Amino acid sequence: MTRLRPLLGSAVLEIVLVALCLFLAAVAPNFLTAENLLNVLRNVSMQGLIALGMTLVIIAGEIDLSVGSMVAFSGCLTAWLTGALGTPGAGLPVPLAVGAAILLSLAAGCLSGSLAGLLRNRFGVPSFISTLALLTALSGAAELITNGFPLTPFPGWYNFIGGGYLLGIPFPALLFVIAFAGTHMLMNYTAFGRAVYAVGGNAEAARLSAINIRTVRTAVLALTATLAAASGVMQSSEIMSGTATTAKGWELDVIAAVIIGGTSLAGGVGRVWGTMVGVVFLGVIMNGMTLLNVNEYWQHVVRGGLILLAVLINRMERRGR
Amino acid sequence: MMNAPLHALETVALRKEYPGTVALRDVSLRCEGGEIRALLGKNGAGKSTLVRLLGGAVEPTSGAILVDGNRVRFRSPAEAIRKGIVTVHQELSLIPGLTVAENIFLGRLPRRRAGLIDWRAACSMAEALLEELGLALDVRAPAGRLGVAQQQMIEIAKAMSHAPSVLMLDEPTSALAHREADRLFTLLKRLAAKGVVLLYITHRLEEIHRIADAVTVLRNGALVGTIPAGEANPAAIVGMMFGEAVGKERPPAPPPSGTPVMEVRGFTRKKSYSDISFTLHRGEVLGIAGVLGAGRTELLRGLFGADPHEAGLVTIGGKTVFPSSPSQMKKLGVALAPEDRKAEGLIQILSTRVNINLADFWPPSLHWITTARREREVATRYVRGMDIAVQSVDSPVSDLSGGNQQKVVIAKWLNTGPCVLLLDEPTRGIDIQAKRQVFDIVRELSSRGISSIVVSSELEELMEICHRILILKKGKLAGELLPHDATLENLVGICME
Repeated sequence: MTRLRPLLGSAVLEIVLVALCLFLAAVAPNFLTAENLLNVLRNVSMQGLIALGMTLVIIAGEIDLSVGSMVAFSGCLTAWLTGALGTPGAGLPVPLAVGAAILLSLAAGCLSGSLAGLLRNRFGVPSFISTLALLTALSGAAELITNGFPLTPFPGWYNFIGGGYLLGIPFPALLFVIAFAGTHMLMNYTAFGRAVYAVGGNAEAARLSAINIRTVRTAVLALTATLAAASGVMQSSEIMSGTATTAKGWELDVIAAVIIGGTSLAGGVGRVWGTMVGVVFLGVIMNGMTLLNVNEYWQHVVRGGLILLAVLINRMERRGR
Repeated sequence: MMNAPLHALETVALRKEYPGTVALRDVSLRCEGGEIRALLGKNGAGKSTLVRLLGGAVEPTSGAILVDGNRVRFRSPAEAIRKGIVTVHQELSLIPGLTVAENIFLGRLPRRRAGLIDWRAACSMAEALLEELGLALDVRAPAGRLGVAQQQMIEIAKAMSHAPSVLMLDEPTSALAHREADRLFTLLKRLAAKGVVLLYITHRLEEIHRIADAVTVLRNGALVGTIPAGEANPAAIVGMMFGEAVGKERPPAPPPSGTPVMEVRGFTRKKSYSDISFTLHRGEVLGIAGVLGAGRTELLRGLFGADPHEAGLVTIGGKTVFPSSPSQMKKLGVALAPEDRKAEGLIQILSTRVNINLADFWPPSLHWITTARREREVATRYVRGMDIAVQSVDSPVSDLSGGNQQKVVIAKWLNTGPCVLLLDEPTRGIDIQAKRQVFDIVRELSSRGISSIVVSSELEELMEICHRILILKKGKLAGELLPHDATLENLVGICME
């Protein structure tokens, strides 16, 4: 038992997740089917993609509240640009217009994150404030672009990005898993990843150890906003329109997944793997409750309680050490 | 003001023991109101222990404290204040966003009957207090808008609002300019005339002549003696502070080659130091001596590009640069072990392994891929080579003792292959054995041609380890001394004059 303890202690969430799956497999006959599990993965992939970046941001001691609005904004921007570039007479064939629209939307995401980084570095504006402002501004910009109505300029094949399957696996889920592998490698096997931990752990000591803390902060904020923009593209593909009201409140779901995964809001502590587990955990719970026909309002209440519980477990685990 | 009651402070065989050490050995002294008593001693002599005992921050192991002839005991600073002993600490403790009046009466603002704060009364009380002390300041202004000297005055006004019998001041002038210090001294003399006992802790010899009536010296926790300020010449003070056993260890012979590795020209940051120029040679250990507030730490940080400076260039490895960031200076082979090791040298929540590799992470292109295994190899090499006591290189660096943490900081920089090591108070808060080891490392590096600049308040340590010592006074270079043909007395004399 004593030998098992450290092992159990560092994997409490994984164990709870497995237990939850076993329970659902027993009570909900449809849970343990390949189709349903892939469905879960697809449902979490768009928020999950952002959560990966958010993990880096929070480890670096920052926060990004603008990701939900960025999803809506980037979806609307992609739709509008596709329409504008692809109209007969503008010159671009539709596939090229779509490609250009996607790239420009990703660039807009990168720019928005860099802006938050710049404000943090040059003027000392906390990322909490600057991204709170961006949350409102981007949401308004999305409404301006669409004029309040969904834009639907997309060709039929565009639906593949958010709703298609490759080798039987949902395409967004595939992107999510690839992004997970990438961020996991970045944080565990590169000098840059170590610098992110250092900046969040003690920015002054990191600076005096010749780490360029400004670059680190800007890079993680830009990466996360770009991932949010990518998520927005997928979202617009799934619903085949640019809609300004989509993804409201996503920032909180994303932050919840990161915190459940054991990342500390104080910075310097956290794992990309933990976030992966947190994201899947939330997805499984939602899926399970749907399968069990739990009232939708109750689903929210239960989820809130579970978030609290997961964080309490993390706390106690850390104090035990 | 005539016939003000004269207060008196007396300690009888006051003793404080900590596990393994005696911080204060049976100190008995008596101070009368109306005189200003300077308290002197080098670091670790027991000054701060005495201040903490008198101020109620710690309780004595044995012995007694008497105020106005009555024995007093206190379990907290608040209790000491109630019984008439108030301390003004070196660090300013005002809350910048609150007004002067609120700061003075913090926690005991006058109330109306309904329990609401009576701002009018608070302000008029504060005004009356400041007027009595001869200070013309707006009590409704936020404290943060005042200059350092004025804030220091407010600290004293706050202390006086408790109507103390004894006022202790811990290096109150370390942050003040000469003219500002003058105003403070005038204020203190006025307080002394009111019969308050004033204990004044300082490092500056010249201040003793300007303000004190008598000087009490502590050494190794024991009382050495008290002499009138008129007899306090440098030779007498050094004798009392350092004892007879002075300068046993000789510094190593100067390095054979005189090749310059780093030239500093006209380094200036107006509020801290100005026009500093010197040359550092290959393998040289260069000391920088000076009292607190002389600009030593600021200069070192400026040279490393950690803090901005206004003018001055550094030539190193054939390149002349204006230091503006640590990463720029690291590239040129400069390293800094900062004064506050815990908060600035290391990342406490991360492992020894990561901390040793810390300075090697930037730029990331240095090695795109870093693995825990490679980091562990590097860390283990330094842990073995420098005899760092760790359970595992993977456990948090916060588990290590001060001496071992210091070695981790140095290891972190050796891993970058530096040619100049800047060490700010490298032996502060570490035990004697670790001190020896740090010195051995510096000497080792010197013999391998790596130069060091050492800032230390421990002058005898500088005498022991440095080939050459620069003396910094109020931000200016005031001289240079070769430990080989000088005595500690010479050095202390120059520093404190």
